Amino acid sequence: MTNCVEETGEAAVLARITRALHTVLGDCAPDPGAVTMETRFVEDLDLESIDLVVLTGELRAAYGDRVDFPGYFASLDLSEIIGLTVGHLVRHVVESLR
Amino acid sequence: MTSLRAGQVRLNVERLGEPGTAGRPPVVLVHGMGPDSLADYYFTIAAGIAAAGHGVVMYDQRGHGRSERPATGYRLEDFSADLRNLLDALGIHRPAVLVGNSFGGAVAVDFAVRHPHRVSRILLIESAPPVGDWPQRMSGFLSHCAETLCDAQATDRMEQEHGRFVARLARRTRPLLDETTLIEDIAAGRIPGEDGLHSLAVPVLALYGADSALAASAPALERLLPDCRTVIVPGQGHTLLVDAPRTVGALLLGWLREDLSRPERATARARTP
Repeated sequence: MTNCVEETGEAAVLARITRALHTVLGDCAPDPGAVTMETRFVEDLDLESIDLVVLTGELRAAYGDRVDFPGYFASLDLSEIIGLTVGHLVRHVVESLR
Repeated sequence: MTSLRAGQVRLNVERLGEPGTAGRPPVVLVHGMGPDSLADYYFTIAAGIAAAGHGVVMYDQRGHGRSERPATGYRLEDFSADLRNLLDALGIHRPAVLVGNSFGGAVAVDFAVRHPHRVSRILLIESAPPVGDWPQRMSGFLSHCAETLCDAQATDRMEQEHGRFVARLARRTRPLLDETTLIEDIAAGRIPGEDGLHSLAVPVLALYGADSALAASAPALERLLPDCRTVIVPGQGHTLLVDAPRTVGALLLGWLREDLSRPERATARARTP
């Protein structure tokens, strides 16, 4: 399978996750420019755990079975999920698509 | 993730795995009360169950997560009717494995007593059997939570002791506690009671954390249910599912494999007085 660079590079995945955050949080969504690789989903964006599930649902629609989100989250303990950054998720997606 | 109408309410549903893969029964995960949601399973045991070849269904119960929060309708039987409507809406008519965490266990048991042909076995995680004064104890606990959450000093203490994440989750249960009839409805609900539990022929595995107050109910549960085994997990408390997901997942999958290889066991044991 060939993926074009724009789709699978870190910047493109960051942009995709930022768009998904917008869908999940609606009116409460952060300004797109405010989301960086260091932004924490729970601590900085105030996402509840159920919002994270919705977010991964959005991303599964974008990336299909090429990225295993439930398996990834199951490998983290609660403190790791609380501290999860956008960058962690971006890198997981990029590595899965490689 | 989809949202679907189950009877009168709209429920948020998440599915993993292929429904009906390799003939293995679907596994339906029922979460607990208050701050709980399907995320408790999504982040813990759901992926492992799907990887073992089961279709997995998770949903947010009414008033929880991203499901609808009606102003009224929070008796135990309302929650178990939601489960029936959900399975109907998903076209799941073959017997399912139910997993119930805490309050979700009471929902699973109530559903199984009302619809025994739709349940093949039940895993209870840190769940008090819905018998005796369960409605009053549960309602009293929720009432206590509502009072605590109104008290800023108490929530500050909660944040110091358990962290910001836990305190924030707790504060977010306020609309459910303050703006619905949950507390009255739980007290007024019709529970299966001891007769209901006696009638439940399906195999039940009940897990408790050794440090949880609920662990003391393990012997009573084994007496009340015709086919029940309990396991006490050392070093764990009430939040066993989120604190020890690998242990819970391994116990569930081991038990499913064991029972699937001996399908006659449930029937034989259920007939023994």
